[in-house]
Parts: sequence; structure tokens; C-alpha cells
Amino acid sequence: MSETLTTRRASLRLFVRANPGIAVGGGMLALMLLAAFFAPLPYGPTTPDPASVLQEPSGTHIFGTDANGFDVFSRVIAAGQRDLPLALIGTLASLILGLLIGLPLSTKSPWSERLMRALDAFQSFPLIVLSVTIVSLTGNNIQNIVYAIVIINGPRFIRLIRGEALSIRDGRFIEAAIATGARPRRIVFRHVMPNVVDVCLVQCSLTAANAVIVIAALNFLGVGVSPPDPTWGSMVQVGAQGISTGQWWVAIWPGVAIFIAIASLNILANGIQRRVEGS
Amino acid sequence: MTTLVAPEARRSWAKRHPALRYALVRVAIVPISLFVLGSVSFVLVFFIPGNPAVTILGDFATPEQVARVNAQLGLDQPLWDRYLTYWSHLLQGDLGTSFFTNEPVLSDIGKFLPNTIELILLSLLIAVGLGLLIGVTGAYFARRWPDRLLGGVTSALQSVPDFFLALVGIYVFFFLLGWAPAPIGRLPIDAGTDHPPFLIFGSLFRGDFSTFGAALGHAALPVLALGLVYSAYFAKTARGSMGTALTTPQVEFARACGLRERTVVRYAFLASRTTVITYIAILFGSLLGGASIVERVFNWRGMGQWALEGVLKVDVPVIQGFVITAGLMTLTLFLLLDLVVLALDPRVSYE
Repeated sequence: MSETLTTRRASLRLFVRANPGIAVGGGMLALMLLAAFFAPLPYGPTTPDPASVLQEPSGTHIFGTDANGFDVFSRVIAAGQRDLPLALIGTLASLILGLLIGLPLSTKSPWSERLMRALDAFQSFPLIVLSVTIVSLTGNNIQNIVYAIVIINGPRFIRLIRGEALSIRDGRFIEAAIATGARPRRIVFRHVMPNVVDVCLVQCSLTAANAVIVIAALNFLGVGVSPPDPTWGSMVQVGAQGISTGQWWVAIWPGVAIFIAIASLNILANGIQRRVEGS
Repeated sequence: MTTLVAPEARRSWAKRHPALRYALVRVAIVPISLFVLGSVSFVLVFFIPGNPAVTILGDFATPEQVARVNAQLGLDQPLWDRYLTYWSHLLQGDLGTSFFTNEPVLSDIGKFLPNTIELILLSLLIAVGLGLLIGVTGAYFARRWPDRLLGGVTSALQSVPDFFLALVGIYVFFFLLGWAPAPIGRLPIDAGTDHPPFLIFGSLFRGDFSTFGAALGHAALPVLALGLVYSAYFAKTARGSMGTALTTPQVEFARACGLRERTVVRYAFLASRTTVITYIAILFGSLLGGASIVERVFNWRGMGQWALEGVLKVDVPVIQGFVITAGLMTLTLFLLLDLVVLALDPRVSYE
């Protein structure tokens, strides 16, 4: 029993030493998620205390309180319940869209080239304004921010997967598969798709990082917010009103949480990239 | 008929001037893109739920009032007629009037677009300058400590949302240090909100240095917030393309010839300049969107802020006006980009 435990611990240590990026980034992310869902909070994140409004950080409220009397610390931790899963769902949706459109488009036909140019034009449009329009028109729910994430990140996945699949299709083993009589569907699923997984993993964690920014930006504008549920973006917005009069803690702490979430996703992406290149 | 040319002659003309042909085809596509853009902006209205007349009048309007406003907006006409009217207005430069302020959309754009262009150009200047510096230095010292340090700085900057950096800037430089003016717009509050377009460039041009100084002071924080965040994206691209350019045999040969290091780096930069220029155009587009939130934080009164407020109030003509203006800007930019890349890089294929 203890024998297996030590070997397991040793192999874990080996993994961490070989992939510091994955371990640090993934660990920080897991910690944030665990804290968001299971950490005991000192105050209710949605129950204001009218008696303590805009208090500076102190022993009783370690991150202070905001203009409504909410405890900033509890809300910063609890906001992860909404922001992080939403970012992951948005990333997954973008990935699926990228696979569904990118793989069939991985030909050199003039049509697919033209579609890629159209995608370029679409991407060069100020998409954040477009996504604000769509989310506020589809009913201003926080779930609808998934559309925004997909609109902004889907094209990147399509381009990446198409490019990668194109270069894989030139490979000898695809030629061999065709020669043995494999159907196109089998080639795509058995031979091309496993080879795009690596780049997709890197892009997934970059997309999740971008998704955290998109969610925060939209919530900062008041789009997709349902008070009093905490999200990092809406907390920054509440704090923005007091920032030029010196109540820094209301806006800065949720901002720091956004920073840590994005940084850990970027570190994770770097780690995966290292591992993919190394192998 | 002197204009009649034999097909062979025409084909050989196209073959002899592939670049010119490419440029002409590229320019010829523009009207098609414009048509698509205009139609998309027309179709946009149908995705907006609810009746525009109810949006204007509020929920307590009587059916007669709704019918009257519908007639005023031309919404009782058949769809095809509305489409034709839309295009005839658009071609005359009439973008309609805002539902809520009753201002003509075109004059609003004329008022707010110059503010946004100034903000974007200044931010782009910082982003490109700083990004190039970081990227080229990192690529030159690849895998040594300056590269690692700058890579860390880039990652950190990429992890900050621009609006949050702007808020931190306001707290530190306005509240704590008192160096920056209050985030209330483009000029001190006693100057009012009516000022000539292109405040910064214009006052510099006219030699009005007191206005120039005040405007530049108000611009410092938003420009820095946007410029720093976007310089991280630029640095990453520059680091990548310079990294490739510095490991080519061409660079090794240049070193072997005994050229100075400065010259070697310059040659490597010239080899990667098309990537850099392409990325500048892409950055311009994303800055147009990214600026809108920062504009709101600083009450910059730019087009992004105006459009966002229009979007949040479901002000249809404003949304359409923004889509068309932003689309026009991106179309022009990418036309220029393609032509510049064509002129700079003879390796581009013209097919």
C-alpha cells in the first residue's frame, strides 16, 4: 500500500519536474475551481450586510466590502463558479465548431480558399461589439456569453485545424491509407484527427484564457449579468465607480483573480507547447 | 474599334504583368464587398427581437402610436421596397437618425470617429514600437536571459484585460500620484465637450500647444493601457517571425561576410516585415473593438463608446451605422495591406 503510494508520489514528482508549465498552470486552475465550489466562505457571496458598506480590507473583511455591503473576498472566490466553467464550455464549443468546419475545409479547392478569405474579413471586424450585440439581443443571460466566445474564437480554431490538417494530408501515411482503400471518413477520423490533437490542446488553453477576458469584458459592460450573482467582470464594474476616489479594493481584487486565471491558462498553454515540441 | 484586343494578346498582357493584374482584381472586388457589407447591415435588423416602434415609444404605447411610428420608419412597406429605399438612402450618405437622440447617425459618426482614430493610432504607435523592441530583442538573445525575461513580461501583459489595466492606471496615476487628469473625457471639464475633431493632431498642427498638452495628458492613460496590452500580442508575433528570420542561412552568410551585427539584424527584419505589417492591420481591427470598452472607462466620447451605448439600448440605426463604418474601415485597411505587401514582397503569388 505505502509502496504504491511512494511510487505514485515519485512518478508525480517526475511529471512535475518534466512538465513544470503543465503542473503549475493546471494546478493553479484546479485550485481556483476547487475553491470556487467547495471552499468555506466567511460570508454569503449574495447576502449584503448594509451595516458595513465600502469598508477597507481588515481582519473581519480581508478584501474589504463593496458599495452594496457585499464581502469582496467571498464574492471573488465564488465568482469562479460562473466564470471558469463558462470559459471551459465556450472553449469546448469553439473546438467542436473548429473541427466541424475546419476538417471538411482542409482542401486546396478555390472554394475553401475563398471561405478562408471571408473568415479573415470576419475576424478583422471589431468582434467584441458584435458579441455584445448578440448576447444582449439573445436575452442577456450569462449562458449566452458562450455565443460571444465562439464567435471570437471559433474562426481561430477553424484556421488552425484546417492548416494543420492540410499539412498532414501531404504525408506519406495518408497516401498509403488511400492506397489500401480507406474511405475518406476513416482517413479523417483515424489518421488526420489524432494528429491535430496536439495543436488543439495548446489552442484550447489559449482560448480559455481569451474566454475569461471576453466574459469579464462583457460582464464589465453589464451584459449577461444577473445581480446579485457575482462574476469577476461585474465586480470590477461595481468597483470602477470608486476607483478615482480611492476605494481600490472593490475593483482590484476581482481583477487580480482574472489575472491569475488567465496567467495560469497561459502557463498551461506554454507547458503543453513545450511537451508537444519536445516529444 | 481599337479597344478590341485578341484573346492571346490579352492573356499575354496579364502574364507579363501579374502584379498589376492582381492589384486590379483586388480593387475590383471592393464593390462586391461593399454590397455584401451593406446587405448584411440591412439583414441585421431582422435579428433584433421586438418591434422598433415599441423600443422607441416604450411599453405603454397605444396601437395607433405604434402604427404611426411604423409608417414613419417605413416599416409598413414590403420588404423589397424597404431594401431599395435602404440602399438609395445609403448611397446618398443617409444612415438614418438615432431612435433615442434623434441625431443623424452620419453626423454622430463624424463627431465620434476622429476621437477613436486618434486613440487607436496613438495606441498602435506604442504597441508596435514597444512590441517590436521586445520581439526583436527577444529573438536576438533567443533562449538566453533577456529572452526569458521579456517572454515573462509579455505573458504577464497578455494576462491583463485592457479595461482593468486602465482602472489600475487611474488609481495609481490619478488618485495616488496625481500625475494624470481625472478620467472625464478628452479635455479638462471647463473646456466643455464641444471641441474640433482630431484634437491632438489638429492642435499640434495649428501650433496650439496649451490645448495639445492638455489633450495629450488626458490621452496618456487610455493610450498606455491599450498600447501596453496590445504590445504583448505584437511582441509575440515579432518574436516568432524574427526568430525564424534570424536562423536562416541568409543571416549566417551575412555574418560570415563580416557584416556588422546591426546590419544583420536589419536584414533579418526586412525579411520578416510583411508578417509584421499584416499583424499591424489585424491589430488595428481588434483595437477598434478593444478601444470601445476603454473609451467607456475614460468617457472618451469615441465611436466605440457610442456604438456600445447604441447596442445596449437597441438603437438600430446606430448599430447599422457602426457596422458599416467599421466594415468600411477594415475593407480599406485590408485593401491597402494587400497592395503594400504586394509592393514589398515579390514572392507573394498573384493567383
